[in-house]
Amino acid sequence: MTFKEFNKSLAEDGAEGELVKTVFVSLATSFVVLAILYIFKLKYIENFIPKYGFYLFFAILSYSLILPSIRHVRAYKELPCMAGMMIGMTMGMISGFLAGFFVASTNGMFIGSVFGMLVGIVFGVLTGKCCGIMGVMEGIMSGFMGGLMGGMTSIMLLNDNLKATGVIVFIISAVILIGLNYLIHKETREIERRHRDSNLFIISWSFALTVITVVLMVFGPRSSLFQ
Amino acid sequence: MNKSILYIIGTILIVLVAGTVLIKGNGDSGGNAIVGGSGGDVQKIVLGIKDYNYYPNTVTVKVNKPVSISLDSTVSGCYRSFTIRDFGINKYLKTPKDTVEFTPTKKGTYRFACSMGMGTGTLVVE
Repeated sequence: MTFKEFNKSLAEDGAEGELVKTVFVSLATSFVVLAILYIFKLKYIENFIPKYGFYLFFAILSYSLILPSIRHVRAYKELPCMAGMMIGMTMGMISGFLAGFFVASTNGMFIGSVFGMLVGIVFGVLTGKCCGIMGVMEGIMSGFMGGLMGGMTSIMLLNDNLKATGVIVFIISAVILIGLNYLIHKETREIERRHRDSNLFIISWSFALTVITVVLMVFGPRSSLFQ
Repeated sequence: MNKSILYIIGTILIVLVAGTVLIKGNGDSGGNAIVGGSGGDVQKIVLGIKDYNYYPNTVTVKVNKPVSISLDSTVSGCYRSFTIRDFGINKYLKTPKDTVEFTPTKKGTYRFACSMGMGTGTLVVE
């Protein structure tokens, strides 16, 4: 099973064939929600785009890469133990880190870390449960670590190319998540698909994540450094 | 055309449009200052450390008059890397003789901090 074959499967029917569509649906939902919020509320906030635009853009891009992996894992429900642990750990760490990093960039370490930990733990558990308690534990631990690390990294880089680091962090996370999808594809060669999520699943998650991120960044509490 | 290719094209279009709209300007907007400005009466400020933070913690200066900030010998570690994000100031003040000089050109309240945000304080320009 080569990466070429995985690439080919992206254009076919089946769980892998839904990955690209999921990215599209998530991005479309998030940006439509953001546009609606902007028209009715956010455009009245001084310096909204210069202050929050960059971080919101990358937070939304991050969610659009995280959600397809969750849909991919849910399609098979049960995976071998080692693969499940790897999936729980990767999802918890990456989702926690990205969410924590971008929210901490506008709100400070406390709120960024708390949000990052929450997102990381929820997604870590959601995906890690495919192999039972070990995957769930791995998801909780990595979500907790990733959230804290994301918030901390952002604050430490506040006066040292924070935006450039945000782009680098996003690119590396994207590569890791694509690798994770390849891993899931490899590990499920002999497993039948057991679950089919509708697009509503992705729309709901994208909607919720975008709204919570916008509300936190713009109206949420922030540390003294950002007041 | 293959459905996947359509989704890929759609995704790229969304990212390009959203990116063009959202990524512009400088996020560090707020204050204005001429860094390194001098002439006229220089407002000299010396900051020390008290209770693990800069002291005095709130400094008031006059607008359009040069300000010179230095850190005394009680300040150590990352606290010597002095920043005022709103003014684009980020300088490592190695010794008490090193200074940060700028002229605030806009009234307001701004935060100063060390480069890691461990120590913070307020600069009031009036």
